[in-house]
Amino acid sequence: MKSVFKFFSSVKLAIVLLIIITAASILGTLIPQLRSPEEYIARYGQWANILQRLQLTRLYQSLWFITLLIFFALNIIVCSLNRLSPKLKRAFRPRLTVEAKNLAAFKIKEKIKKHMNLDSAREIAKKELSARHYRVKDRQKENKAFFYARKRVLGWFGADIVHLGILIIIAGGIISGIGGFRRNLTFSEGRILKIPRAEFKLRLDKFETVYYPNGGVKDWKSTLTVLEDEKPVLNKVIEVNHPLSYKGFVFYQSSYGWDWTDPFVEIWVKKRQDPSFLKRINLKVGEKIRLDNENIQVSVLQFVPDFVIGDKGQIATRSLKPNNPAVFIEGWQAEDKIFSGWIFAKFPDFNRIHSEKEYDLMFEFKNFEADQLSIIELSKDPGANFIWIGSTFLMIGLFLAFYWPTREIRMVLEGAGNKTEITAGGVASKSKDAFASEFKTITESIRRSK
Amino acid sequence: MNESTLFLITFVLYSISAFIYMYVTLFFSKKEKPAKTAYFFASAGLAVHTLALIWRTFESGHAPFTNMYESLSFLAWASILAYVIIEMKFKIRKAGPYFMLIVIALMALASSPLMPKDATPLVPALQSYWLWLHVSVTLLGEAFFAFAFITSILYLVADAKEKRGEKTELSAAKLDSVSYRCIAVGFPLFTLGGLVFGMIWAYKAWGSYWSWDPKETWSLITWFVFALYLHTRIVMGWKGRRSAYVAIIGFLAALFTYFGVNYLLVGLHSYA
Repeated sequence: MKSVFKFFSSVKLAIVLLIIITAASILGTLIPQLRSPEEYIARYGQWANILQRLQLTRLYQSLWFITLLIFFALNIIVCSLNRLSPKLKRAFRPRLTVEAKNLAAFKIKEKIKKHMNLDSAREIAKKELSARHYRVKDRQKENKAFFYARKRVLGWFGADIVHLGILIIIAGGIISGIGGFRRNLTFSEGRILKIPRAEFKLRLDKFETVYYPNGGVKDWKSTLTVLEDEKPVLNKVIEVNHPLSYKGFVFYQSSYGWDWTDPFVEIWVKKRQDPSFLKRINLKVGEKIRLDNENIQVSVLQFVPDFVIGDKGQIATRSLKPNNPAVFIEGWQAEDKIFSGWIFAKFPDFNRIHSEKEYDLMFEFKNFEADQLSIIELSKDPGANFIWIGSTFLMIGLFLAFYWPTREIRMVLEGAGNKTEITAGGVASKSKDAFASEFKTITESIRRSK
Repeated sequence: MNESTLFLITFVLYSISAFIYMYVTLFFSKKEKPAKTAYFFASAGLAVHTLALIWRTFESGHAPFTNMYESLSFLAWASILAYVIIEMKFKIRKAGPYFMLIVIALMALASSPLMPKDATPLVPALQSYWLWLHVSVTLLGEAFFAFAFITSILYLVADAKEKRGEKTELSAAKLDSVSYRCIAVGFPLFTLGGLVFGMIWAYKAWGSYWSWDPKETWSLITWFVFALYLHTRIVMGWKGRRSAYVAIIGFLAALFTYFGVNYLLVGLHSYA
C-alpha cells in the first residue's frame, strides 16, 4: 500500500503520464475515430485489424486510455494530498514566534530602530501592516513582540483548487460516459413522441425553417410541448443554440429532414411531334390521373429522394436528402400497360422508361414537395454539471495560483526602555519584485512614523 | 472609406512599425527614440485595426471572426494588443521587430487571395454570443503564447551568446522571465476561452460538451503542453533552455490547432 502511494506521489509520474496522454491524443486525431470497419479496411488494409484490436479506432473510449486518465487522476490526488498538509498547517496553525536571528535567512528583510517604547512601536507596525490589508497575529513574550502578518492566503491553494477542478471534470467525463445517452428524434408537425427512458412525451406543434435573403438556412425553429399524462405542462420554441431542458433531458434543434412517405409530385408531359404541347400534372405518390384527350392514365407508384442502384440491381435510396430525386411512373391505356419506368428530377435525359406500345409522350419530373421534419437531438448527460463545477474551480484556481500570491511578513520587536528594535522579513509565493517594493514601503513608513 | 481600406491602412502602419524596428535593431541598437516611433506606429495601427473590426461587425452583423480572413485579422489585432500590453509592462523593445514579423505574416495571409473576404451569413450553429466569448478570449490567449514563442527563441540565442561570453542587450534571464509571464497570462485565457467557453458552447449547440473532435483534441493537446511547461518549471525547477523548448513546442501546437487542423484533419469545426 505504501509503495503504491509512493508510486503515485511522484511528480515525474505526472509528467510522464501527461506526455503519454498527449501522445495518445495526437494519435487519435491522426487515425479517424469511430468509423465503420469497411472504411478502416479501405484505408489501412491488413493493418485495420491490428488498429481495431488495439482500440486505436475508438481510442478515447478505450480501456487503456481511460486507465491512463484514472492513473493521472490518482496521481493528482496523491500529489495534492502530499503537499496539502504542510500548507494547511502553515495556513491555519502558523508558528507565531520566530526569533529575530532566524529572520536573517529571509531574502527580503529590514532592521528598524525606533526611539519609543515597545507598545507604541507595536501600534505603529500594526497600523502600517493593516493599512496594506495584512492580517496581523501577534504574541508578546516579556520584552519581545512577535508579529505574523499575511494576506491572500488562498493563493497557496490555487494549484490545489485547479487540481480539484480537473478531478471533478474527469469524474464528470466518466459519469457522462456511463450514464449519458443521445438519440435523434425525427418529428413531423402534430406528432407526439414518447421519450425513451422517461415518463413524459413531447409534441411538435410547429416547425419552420428560416432563410436568409440569399437562400441559405438561417435557423430552424420547433415549437415543442411537453406532455405529462397527456396534459401539456410546458411549451417552448427551440432553435439552434437554444435548447429545451426538462427533467435532466435536453432537446436540441440539430437539423431538418423531409417526410418522404407521400410527397406531392409535379410532372410535365410533352409531345415529340408537337413542341407547343405542354401539360402539367400534380399528384401524390399512389395516385392515378387521366390525361385529357389522350386516353391515357398516368400513375406515380414510388418516390425515392436519393436514387441509387444497389449491388443486386435493386433500386434504393442512398440517403434521406433529396440529392437525386426520382419517381417510378406507369401509363395505362384502358387495360393495357403502355409504359413504365423511372424519371429523374436532376437528369431529365436519363429517363429509364420501357415502352410496351407506341406512344408520342415525354415525361419530365419537374418538382416535388414533402412535409419538412424537425430533427431534434435528445441528450441526457448526468456528467455535464460536474463539468461546469469543475471548470469553475479550474478558473478560480488558475486565477489564485497566478494572480493572488500569498505574502507573509514576520516581525520581531525587541523593546529596551525607550528604544525598540524591529527586525522584519518577508516572503511571497510569486511576483517577488512587487512584494519587495511593498515591503520597502511598509518598513519605510514604520521608520518614519512618530 | 470602407473596411478593406481601413485594413490596408492598418497593414501599412504595422509594416512601417516593423520596418523601423528592424532598422533600429540592425543599425542603432542603442537608440531609444526610433524604437519609440515604431511603438507609436504599432499603436496607431492597433487603433485603425480596431475601427476596421468594428466596421466589419456592423457591416456583416456578426462577430468579426467567422471565416479564415476575419479570424487571421482578429488574431493579428489580438497579437498587437498583447504586444502593447507586454511592452508597457516589461519594456522589451528588442522582441518587437520579431513579433511584428509574425503580425505582418498574419496580415499578409489574411489579405492573400486564397482567403475569401466576403462576409457570409452565419450558419445556424454559429449564431450565438458564445462565438464572441469563445473565439476572442482563445485568440487573445494564443497571442500571448506567440509572444512567449518569440521571447523563447530570443532566449535561446541570448543564452548561446552569454555562454560564449558575449554581451547581450537583453539578458537571457529577463527573456526567460518574460516568456513565463506571457504564458502566465496566456494559459488562463486559453483555458477559459478555448476549453471552458468551448465546452459550454458545444453543450448548447451540439448537446455534448466534448466530442473528441480534432480541433477540441488539439486544443487539449496545446493545453497539456503548457501544463507541462508550468509543472516542469514550478515543481521540477526547469528554467532556461528546456523551458524555452517546451514553450516553443506549445506555441507550435497552438498554431496547429488554429491552422493545421482546418486543412489537414476533418471534424465538426468546419467553419474556422
